[in-house]
Amino acid sequence: MKQRAQNIFVALCLSLCFTLLPLTLKSGEVTSSSPDLKGRETVTMTQEFKEKYPLKRVHAKLSLECLFCHDGQGNNPEAFKAVREKTCLECHGSKEKIAQRLDFIGKPNPHNSIHDGTRLSCDECHYEHKASINMCAECHEKEIATNMWMRKTP
Amino acid sequence: MKLKLFIFLSIGIGIGLIFSLVTYYGLHKTSDQKFCVICHEMDPMVVAYREDVHGGAGKLGASAKCVDCHLPHDNILKYIYTKARNGVVEGSIHLFGDPSKIDWIEKRAHRESFVFDDGCLECHGNLLSTQTSSKQAQKMHKHYQSLKGTDKEIHCASCHIDAGHQNMRNTLNYYTPEFEIMKEQMKEKKSEIQEKYQHYGIQKEK
Repeated sequence: MKQRAQNIFVALCLSLCFTLLPLTLKSGEVTSSSPDLKGRETVTMTQEFKEKYPLKRVHAKLSLECLFCHDGQGNNPEAFKAVREKTCLECHGSKEKIAQRLDFIGKPNPHNSIHDGTRLSCDECHYEHKASINMCAECHEKEIATNMWMRKTP
Repeated sequence: MKLKLFIFLSIGIGIGLIFSLVTYYGLHKTSDQKFCVICHEMDPMVVAYREDVHGGAGKLGASAKCVDCHLPHDNILKYIYTKARNGVVEGSIHLFGDPSKIDWIEKRAHRESFVFDDGCLECHGNLLSTQTSSKQAQKMHKHYQSLKGTDKEIHCASCHIDAGHQNMRNTLNYYTPEFEIMKEQMKEKKSEIQEKYQHYGIQKEK
């Protein structure tokens, strides 16, 4: 009887080891660390600022922070300047890459049109803190109003 | 007594091994684009995948399989369960539903639910701590880590919108044009890519 109890005990220990082993391995992994913001400016985002400078839907979903774009512009949102194209392209790659994504549109591709090629500035159409516009509509009023080639400018 | 135990154990191990082997080969053979493209509604995805570095378009031709990104990799049981469930659900939609009615372009907005971070990190294992990637990449990956576990959590596919399928909106448009006015143009493009990628099992339409 004693022998049997001993066997059961050993079996239990072994199975416990096998179930716990993966857990201990997992806990040994490096856990995520918070971003190192030491020595960097930070902006306290108040509700007032959030309403005054809303983000685009896609950027809000990513919880982008003011200083991701307005880097080196102090910590007062009121004093921030419009960012250069270079800032947009830090995430979005290059104008050619952006144009390639809408390549199916062909000639009216807003990022590679027969008029301007890939030369347009982002902020001819796209704004971050207010509604974007569609510059093409300055001439192609009907086509843009009826979403013939493209949807609303994001 | 001992002999009985031995025979019992041997048979058990034998059955176990055969079962594992069958499962392994079953999982293996149904994991790449050769299998996934059997359902031809996957054609535009496979073409875009083949044009991406994840689909072997890089210099060295290294490629990931469909399941490497589209199944969870944190737990083997979850992996098998998700694979089985997807197989049944998607298989029945293919056979009994109408896959031509699916709005694939819209579906890209839900990419975070069918691209799994642990799948990405299985290959890009050192991504979150590496110092050799660009400053911008390090900054944004730190942001990713700081949001992890919060209700604002983001995923790899949140930013890397078409990783794995380069410029997929284009190929999807060739098959189901977003804009009426481009219909004819898209048809031409479609037969062009069908010709080009025929050897990957892409069906040529007449």
